Amino acid sequence: MEIKNYSDLDALEMDTLREVGSIGTGNAATALSGLLGCPVRITLPEVRIMGYNEAIDWIGGPENVTAGVLVHISGDMGGIMLAVQPLEFVNAILHHMLGNQVDSYGQLDELQRSALVEVGNIMISTFINALTGLSGMRVALTVPSITVDMQGAILAVPMAEYGGQTDYLMTIGGNFICDQYELPCRLLLSPDIRSLNYLLQKLGVSNG
Amino acid sequence: MGKPGQKLVVKIADMQIAQHGEELITYALGSCIGICLQDKVTKLSALIHIMLPINMEAGRKNTMKYADTGIRETLKQMEARGARKGNIVAKVAGGAKMFDTAPGSSLGNIGKRNVESVHLVLKKEGIRLLAEDVGGTVARTVSFDPSTGQATVRSYGKPDHVI
Repeated sequence: MEIKNYSDLDALEMDTLREVGSIGTGNAATALSGLLGCPVRITLPEVRIMGYNEAIDWIGGPENVTAGVLVHISGDMGGIMLAVQPLEFVNAILHHMLGNQVDSYGQLDELQRSALVEVGNIMISTFINALTGLSGMRVALTVPSITVDMQGAILAVPMAEYGGQTDYLMTIGGNFICDQYELPCRLLLSPDIRSLNYLLQKLGVSNG
Repeated sequence: MGKPGQKLVVKIADMQIAQHGEELITYALGSCIGICLQDKVTKLSALIHIMLPINMEAGRKNTMKYADTGIRETLKQMEARGARKGNIVAKVAGGAKMFDTAPGSSLGNIGKRNVESVHLVLKKEGIRLLAEDVGGTVARTVSFDPSTGQATVRSYGKPDHVI
């Protein structure tokens, strides 16, 4: 039976997606560790299915400003992947890569923005590489794009993208821990429902 | 309906009706659009937060998620509360493009399509569009004061402005 809604997923399928998130986030952490030159661990990866307004509360309110790096996924699987980079994370990156920091997003110069895009892109790409390696799917990624704005509007991008199919937002992802303190960077994959069926089938857990 | 002086928060895919003395607000519109509708005479006002241009869902539940069903349902509810359609005017904000995605992608620009749909539906319903702040690449928070008919737009890194 194909799922028509995220809520149709059974326990085995949810566990599988959590495992996908775990492996993807783990790979991204390894890449991040290489970039930052420090050990990076991950928190327990999460699979969440949330209503729109619930998702806004979960990310921490609509109006807080944050940086987001976004990549569209196409091919065997369609989806959007977002790396949400709060200021602490941004500063950890800048400190390790460029030896400087900023007090606010407004101070980011061209080179610093470019470093953030690249870090986001590397994390997203390693996550997706792990996913395609597991499932044997072939996907293409768009060129990454960054924006610094209200996080509610950033999270609304995947919501609007699949808004015609569902009233919920699905996210697969996790947080990172570096140098003993938690870096609040969220790596989120929002797949479309059709692709989710295909992914589960490829992983051999589709219940039909 | 809230008490006078109360701020009524309009969530995503949501709508609230307010009258003189109350205030309507909706946060962080990206590609979404905030549509303020007001009866100039009675001051009865509504704010809708739509996400997509056209409702093609079977059963058409969740009317406020879409520009077409959202505006029509809101007009109906305003009329049921004594507003006259001929007196209703609109102010609109939102419809930005949050990320600079590759040109020629099939995903298109949802913000732009939302703006076009809002324009079309308002025109079809005979509602005059008084002012708008749409497009661009920045998120907007919109508040509407029914007593003055003013909509205030707040964006990151920009001064507030009134439309």
